[in-house]
Amino acid sequence: MSATDRRTPGEWLQLLVGGAIVSAMFYPAVWMVLSSFKTNREMFKNPFGLPRDWLWSNFSAAWDKGGLGGLYLNSIIVTASAVTLTVCVATAAAFAFSRLAFPGRRWLFRLLLIGLLLPPPVVAIPLFAILRDMGLLNTLWALILSGSAWSLSLTIFIMHGYFNAIRPDMEEAAMLEGASIWQIFRDISVPMVWPSMLTLAIVNTINIWNELMFALLFVVDDEKRTLPVGLIRFFGRYSTDYAMVFAALTISTLPILALYFLLQRHVIAGLSATAMD
Amino acid sequence: MNLLFVAPAFVLFGLFVLLPLVSSVFYAFTNWSGFSTPEWVGLANFSRALADPVHLTSYLHVTLYILGTLLLEVSFGLVMAVVLNSNRLGFSLMRGMFFSPMVLSMTAAGVLWAFVLDYRLGLLNSVLRSVGLNDWALPWLSQGSTALIAIMFVSGWRFAGFYMIIFFAALRRIPRSIYEAATLDGAPPLHQFFTITLPLLRQQMLTCVLLAITGGFAGFDLFFTMTNGGPFNATDVPATWIIRTGFDNNELGYATAMTVILAVVVLIISVVYLRLTERGDHVRY
Repeated sequence: MSATDRRTPGEWLQLLVGGAIVSAMFYPAVWMVLSSFKTNREMFKNPFGLPRDWLWSNFSAAWDKGGLGGLYLNSIIVTASAVTLTVCVATAAAFAFSRLAFPGRRWLFRLLLIGLLLPPPVVAIPLFAILRDMGLLNTLWALILSGSAWSLSLTIFIMHGYFNAIRPDMEEAAMLEGASIWQIFRDISVPMVWPSMLTLAIVNTINIWNELMFALLFVVDDEKRTLPVGLIRFFGRYSTDYAMVFAALTISTLPILALYFLLQRHVIAGLSATAMD
Repeated sequence: MNLLFVAPAFVLFGLFVLLPLVSSVFYAFTNWSGFSTPEWVGLANFSRALADPVHLTSYLHVTLYILGTLLLEVSFGLVMAVVLNSNRLGFSLMRGMFFSPMVLSMTAAGVLWAFVLDYRLGLLNSVLRSVGLNDWALPWLSQGSTALIAIMFVSGWRFAGFYMIIFFAALRRIPRSIYEAATLDGAPPLHQFFTITLPLLRQQMLTCVLLAITGGFAGFDLFFTMTNGGPFNATDVPATWIIRTGFDNNELGYATAMTVILAVVVLIISVVYLRLTERGDHVRY
């Protein structure tokens, strides 16, 4: 059956039902973008149509008043650092769990399950105290380190699955040639799982980029806030200036949506891998 | 030597996951404002938690929320995986669009939907008024009777795509020949769905239900963004109540006791669930 066949009545129904549901669910995003070009009055009088004048000024107002540039920069710093740290550290650990013998291996692996099952709110309060004692409170490090630590379990489990799916022939051959474990890891194992590391980098990017609770609790200064917290603050302060909040929403979501549609295949593969263990 | 490969991971994990977890067991038995030295109070926090009406109803809310997500995220995702399972032109795009809310932050989703559900200007009420259903236009998020349901729908909007993709990937692995044989035997599509598709997706369903349960107890972002527990605690879940008690009222000892309860509840439910489901026979194809 090829895609050029005529559609059966059942397939037309499928297209109709699927199309209707998907359009209805995607519509709020379209409405958000259109509304961000309107004045507050027009939004009330004409909620559905195209804006009469495309008001780009909403965007510059939102960008300036919300300090969105700084929020973006902080989010990028936190996400890039935490994702790099997580993926590197987790790959090394997954390699060890899959390939090496060491004391407490089984026990440590089980311990990681805690990070998978328990919700982060469970540690929010003592973690706050620990970060304060370490002098990390109100720094981006607080978000990088705790975000990374809470991403480790999932990343190690998935990476471990990838390592187990690869036969260790090459590594054993290198071992016989007298290579050290570090050389084997760096020159053979990492190149083999490199694509999986990128997939996991995408998954962790989405999770850490969107992280709210730690960012809300561990950072106080406005100039160190990340995008999700900044957006809530902005919404709280200007909640009656609908047009500007819509512009801020559009600025903070449209680039992410565009990036998603560009990398769709990888994002979906990565996020669905999180449920396969 | 080999331990060096796991050492960095466990330093991070130990400092920021295990250490706070262990120290929370200590703080839970103290009266502590965050700045004072913790003062031992025995089981007082726990007996207070078991008598705190907001704390107790927060578990009712989170249970309702999880039931809601099973319907609006897992079941709806399953149905959509079947509906969008086609190689025809346009279906790949539709799957992509259906999944797209997953990449948005919960705060962006929450703020966007706060506007969709706004009483005066909201998209939903605009639609209802434009088709003449003026009485149906409600202040969705500011009345207790609808706020939790509204949040469930927003959560469904955001997560249904995730479950759809999991089921879709599994559907793709079911050989078409099974369905062709069933069609030859005269089984109607709905019958095929219940006798072929569902049993073969058993493993994915079990995983998804566990994800919905653990994810439900972790629910914080959407509740915080949309209602922060209000109106009058009608949407308080354990996480929002813990954070407000701890950081707004500075009762960190009491809040920590509630986190310990939450951790125990989640661990017991997950372990029991995993034990119950791993016995089940696997359907292979």
